[in-house]
Amino acid sequence: MAYTYLVTGATSDIGQALLRRLLAHAPAGSVVLAQGCGDVQKLAPLCANHPGLVRTFDVDLSDRAAVAAFAALVTEGFAPTHFVHLPALPVVNTKFKKFDEARFDRDLEVQVHSAVALARAVLPGMARAKFGRVLFIQSSYTLGAPPKNTAAYVMAKSALGGLVKSLAVEYAPFGVTVNCVAPSMMETNFLKDTPALIVEAAAADNPMGRNARPEDVAPAMEFLLGDEAGFITGVTLPVTGGSAIV
Amino acid sequence: MTEQEILAAVQEIFRDNFDDDTLVITRSTNANDIEDWDSLEQINLLTAIEKRFRIKFKLADVRGLKDVGDLLDLVARMAG
Repeated sequence: MAYTYLVTGATSDIGQALLRRLLAHAPAGSVVLAQGCGDVQKLAPLCANHPGLVRTFDVDLSDRAAVAAFAALVTEGFAPTHFVHLPALPVVNTKFKKFDEARFDRDLEVQVHSAVALARAVLPGMARAKFGRVLFIQSSYTLGAPPKNTAAYVMAKSALGGLVKSLAVEYAPFGVTVNCVAPSMMETNFLKDTPALIVEAAAADNPMGRNARPEDVAPAMEFLLGDEAGFITGVTLPVTGGSAIV
Repeated sequence: MTEQEILAAVQEIFRDNFDDDTLVITRSTNANDIEDWDSLEQINLLTAIEKRFRIKFKLADVRGLKDVGDLLDLVARMAG
């Protein structure tokens, strides 16, 4: 069976790592619909390596009209079998009293509202096909006590966690699984606004002595997206080197 | 750079960071003396000091800092 993977936030370091694995192992005839925002040229090497298999979409997920148009395009033109939602704004380390409300709202738009809109668009088709895989990325910050000063990020990630559990039970009868991975701090471009000392401290405090890397997380994602993971749903799989254990 | 010059520059950074133009720090000032001085502010202070003195702290350098005196000694060593 050929698959259609819809991957939002595909231009991120973890998105690209996942796409490389999916494209290497996907059944013949599969395609990837890859969303980025102003940076889809990052996917050029992948497109070149897999001619015709990757279709890129430049969509601003903080714009509801753009998300609605994208959702319509994806459902009318394709029938995604897999939906992977990765977008997030870089973490801002700020005290709650100093939080910028506009930024707070934007975090919710990009991470949560776009997830809701796209899930609503793709899940009915998956249910009809009696097969589907939905995967979100949370964070070890949502396991146990979060670090201070990351309220917007933790709130948005926790909302995704609630969405995953709800969708998991609602769509389980239709062969659709909905899961999360929750990596600990991952050393990617996502941390560009995080002071180096915070990144170093996280690595030093991790039982494995380092932070996560995309190549640690992508295999866990690929597993949850695989055919053989069909009885696993509603879970948040920590990929943390032991820094957060549930 | 003398210790006094370093102290003056660090005091400016503290005043800016804690939004308090009257703040006066001494060698013995520590996190218990300034209400908002928590782990995040510590990172913000260190990041501003790195920029001002064009130095780069390592985690091991800054984990054991007890007070402003320790901080000034570290900056003096690194800034030469």
